[in-house]
Amino acid sequence: MKPSIVQLVKMFLLGCVFFALVTPLLLLLLNSFAHEWRWPQIIPASFSLRAWSVVFSDPHIWSSIGWTVLIGSMVVCLNLLLGLPAAKALAYYEFKGKSLVETFLLLPILIPSLAIGMGLLLTMIRVGLADHWAGVVLIHLLPTLPYTIRILRAGYENIGAGYEEAARNLGASSWKAFWTITVPLLFPSLRAVLALTFVISLSQYVLTALIGGGQVVTLAMIYYPYLAGIDRSVTAALSLLFVLLPILLVCIFELVSHLSRKVVTTNQMRDET
Amino acid sequence: MSRIQEISAKSCVAVLCLLFFLVGCSTDDKEELEEQSENTSESILNQSWEDTLAEAEGSEVHFYMWGGDEGINHYIDDWVAPRLQERYNITLTRHPMDITEILQKLQTEKRAGKEDGSIDVVWINGENFKNAKENDLLWGSFTDYLPNYQQYVNKENSEQQYDFGTTIEGMEAPWGKVQYVFLYDSAKVEEPPASFADLAEWVKKNPGTFTYPEAQDFSGSGFLKHVLYDKIGIEALDGKEYNPSLLQQHSDEIWGYLNELQPHLWREGETYPSTLSDLDHLYSQGEVLFTMGYNEGRAERLIADGTFPETTRSFVMEPGSIGNLHFLSIPFNSTNTAGALVTINELLSPEAQLKKLEPSVWGDNTVLDINKLPDSYQEKLKDIERGESVLSADELQDSFLNEMDPEYTEWIKEYWISEVVQSGNN
Repeated sequence: MKPSIVQLVKMFLLGCVFFALVTPLLLLLLNSFAHEWRWPQIIPASFSLRAWSVVFSDPHIWSSIGWTVLIGSMVVCLNLLLGLPAAKALAYYEFKGKSLVETFLLLPILIPSLAIGMGLLLTMIRVGLADHWAGVVLIHLLPTLPYTIRILRAGYENIGAGYEEAARNLGASSWKAFWTITVPLLFPSLRAVLALTFVISLSQYVLTALIGGGQVVTLAMIYYPYLAGIDRSVTAALSLLFVLLPILLVCIFELVSHLSRKVVTTNQMRDET
Repeated sequence: MSRIQEISAKSCVAVLCLLFFLVGCSTDDKEELEEQSENTSESILNQSWEDTLAEAEGSEVHFYMWGGDEGINHYIDDWVAPRLQERYNITLTRHPMDITEILQKLQTEKRAGKEDGSIDVVWINGENFKNAKENDLLWGSFTDYLPNYQQYVNKENSEQQYDFGTTIEGMEAPWGKVQYVFLYDSAKVEEPPASFADLAEWVKKNPGTFTYPEAQDFSGSGFLKHVLYDKIGIEALDGKEYNPSLLQQHSDEIWGYLNELQPHLWREGETYPSTLSDLDHLYSQGEVLFTMGYNEGRAERLIADGTFPETTRSFVMEPGSIGNLHFLSIPFNSTNTAGALVTINELLSPEAQLKKLEPSVWGDNTVLDINKLPDSYQEKLKDIERGESVLSADELQDSFLNEMDPEYTEWIKEYWISEVVQSGNN
């Protein structure tokens, strides 16, 4: 009897989590097709494709999705490029002024990024990065990099320096040690960084508007003005697009990493035999 | 440790170099543009309209405007843009951006001395126009240069000279005109109130069915301005300068009236919708029976897309309905002023203005003087069915009130919380 109760509770909790995650999405889906939906109707009185046709007839929509994915991916890559060494240094090494560096790297979260953005805009205009996607990518590092460093640092601290050192002692190059030891062990943190930075980059409206100057039209630039409006169906349709993008990206990442791990393990087996 | 730092420093430098390189590619043509704009901006208003048309041909115009209304976006993308392309070979690109961000951008560009901006036309009015004008963010006085403005706009009219009390001086061209109306569900309300006194009676008899957006909201302060007109009187406010003694004299009446309403409002007046779209949502769900707002024709499309009940109608109350204009202007650092002028002129053409008036398109009233239009357009204008929810042109014209001095709005916003929300709920 006892395990079945535990199982029941588990099932119930799982059900709750599932319900909490899926119902809002279902509501959005229903709303995006609703024509008239007034309280106390449980489902909409009539349906229409209007909201979706509005969304996809916007001449900016496809290019904006493209830009969003492109900018988001570049932000993720830059985050890893800059975050991995910084996090490793903070996790493994002691040096003078470490706490100062730590605070400095966290500052962008503590100071409203808009305040920094306003100041940076002036510089970006002078340097020629304003109104350009490269400027938008750089400014998106502001709200993302501090989180990346935090997450990766915790990841590095969990692994400890030992494994990589052992690999190096056995003659692996630093690149091979990184690729075959650190990356697989750090995988959960990398996955978290990917999802988080992409979602943060995706939802930047003010910073994108400020630095991109309306020339760089991401999905947020189209979506946010509708949020303030009364048209719930169009807002719901755009919200769904907004949700789908990171989910798709994470799926692609999982697929790619799954395949690459397979390749790595088969290669290793071949090496051994 | 030092190696790691070296690597990270190297990668930083590499990334920055890459970015600069990518950006560097596009700076050459920018310099060319700059030269062009310097040549044009000084002489353009002295050359003939034909020369301007020739100069604008084949150019690209960047129109920055608020993007939260599907009907308006549609009108620009699918009617105006193809027309400009066809008639003048101008490519019009709409950029969705809020006016606050647009002004922020222009302000920073001004400080940075950037003369080759990316914006050619902006949609603007009121407070934002005042800010832009005071900070020299606008290009210049251009309206008299536009043929359609000369021909069809009644320049003598006071509404063409002042935008919320700021003198226009040709720095922006009128684009549309809206009036403040109340909307109600005729299936549930037989006879809407005819005056503010009636409204007070109505809410007492039907508690919880009426509310208005808070004073900080644009439409909320619009409602309160009507109360001011009602309590102080039209003669003292319409077209007159700010007079604080009037407010002192009448403040008891004004706050007294609002406090009288408060306990009978939606949720006993303990809270107010923070924006008009919140109130619209309450109305669309049948929680309240009234909503309101600028643009006398806005209910039509909301009915068509199922947001508002089909039985939605509009009304105005004594002493009248405040109306204002919205405008188009050119930023100080536009690189295609010729294209911007042609675009604005085209948006002021009778065809474009009539199209804009159609309820399924936008439902925004024309700024042209009807008497100056050719007969055929006068006919067409009369034939446009604005929809059942829109009041007749005569009724709207009879109740028309001008915007009052913006100082009054500031006063309302400043004291509404303490005089109404806090005092009433204590």
